[in-house]
Amino acid sequence: MTTKRLSIQRYLPEQGNNTPYWQDFDIPFDDSTSVLDALNYVKEELDGSLSYRWSCRMAICGSCGVMVNNTPKLGCQSFLRDYEGPVKIAPLAHFPVEKDLIIDMGLFLDHLAAVQPYLINDSRLINDSEEGTETFKQTPAQMEKYKQFAGCINCGLCYSACPQFGLNPEFLGPAALTLAHRYNLDSRDQGKKQRMPQMNREEGVWSCTFVGFCSEVCPKNVDPAAAVNQGKVESAKDMLIGIFKG
Amino acid sequence: MNKGTSLNNDASENMRRSDEPIWWGLFSAGGVCFAVFVPAAILFIALLIPAGIVGPDALRFERAHSMVFSLPGLIFIGMVICLPLFHAAHRIRHGLHDLKLGTEHLNKVATYGGAALLSVLALVGFAIGIL
Repeated sequence: MTTKRLSIQRYLPEQGNNTPYWQDFDIPFDDSTSVLDALNYVKEELDGSLSYRWSCRMAICGSCGVMVNNTPKLGCQSFLRDYEGPVKIAPLAHFPVEKDLIIDMGLFLDHLAAVQPYLINDSRLINDSEEGTETFKQTPAQMEKYKQFAGCINCGLCYSACPQFGLNPEFLGPAALTLAHRYNLDSRDQGKKQRMPQMNREEGVWSCTFVGFCSEVCPKNVDPAAAVNQGKVESAKDMLIGIFKG
Repeated sequence: MNKGTSLNNDASENMRRSDEPIWWGLFSAGGVCFAVFVPAAILFIALLIPAGIVGPDALRFERAHSMVFSLPGLIFIGMVICLPLFHAAHRIRHGLHDLKLGTEHLNKVATYGGAALLSVLALVGFAIGIL
């Protein structure tokens, strides 16, 4: 079995070392060895002090995001066989690092919560009516409108890819704006009016300059760049309607 | 999870609507003009006439003069000068932001102000010509 050199960025502030440094490991690998497998190998066989997040191993949970050769990737979805030479693993860019490959996603979660990414529909709150117990109905055509944008697993890769989020962390960012758009497009939802003020802000859709790297790195092909730019059209329409309504 | 950021829905000054739709609208309109009408103008004025494919009489002074100082001429100025100017200004402004040069307000005044100034100049020229 051949080996691959892995350079992993370490950061261990609680041990009094406040400077990140690189540590090299040689990992035996074959065609099926993912970056996550390699990290697990380091943790189990070479250095138990390495910290990183992971869970499902199949691109569902979205927790193993890292920079692989400076590109945001899911560790479970990237394979050592695809990289020539040594592989550099670092924590996701644009986020504060807590330890080794573990980032603080707090700001990302704040941004998600800000756009109220859930169905808002008052008609189902009436408990005593028969209508209140009915399930929401939706045609396949109505579902098709938002389905593309509903695949987000909140992994944060798009935030690491976004240069505008890197310049200004107040920017709501690709995933949050995509989820806002996804619920705005949902025929069961009535919350667009509540979400638009967030999207209309400078730090809403308007901080996006359509770089498009978010859509390139998205492991679920959600295409956040398209969602954000459709959001710009919605925000511009919202402004025009506001002007005419006074 | 307070990181000193203010995304609270009650912080009204942070919920201020951006004026970007105006600039983005001009940028979009200018982009269409840049893609469709500017190449057509370049093809006609800078390639077909010099290459002799279209006769030199096509832009003889009297003919060009009567074409420019008319309603279609005004539309031509809008589509080939004014809107592309705002498109270019928008790109320069965001380019400056990406390079961390200047300030948001200063860059807006300089780029859109420049585009507006040159547009006014073109329109004043049109007004002088038509009067």
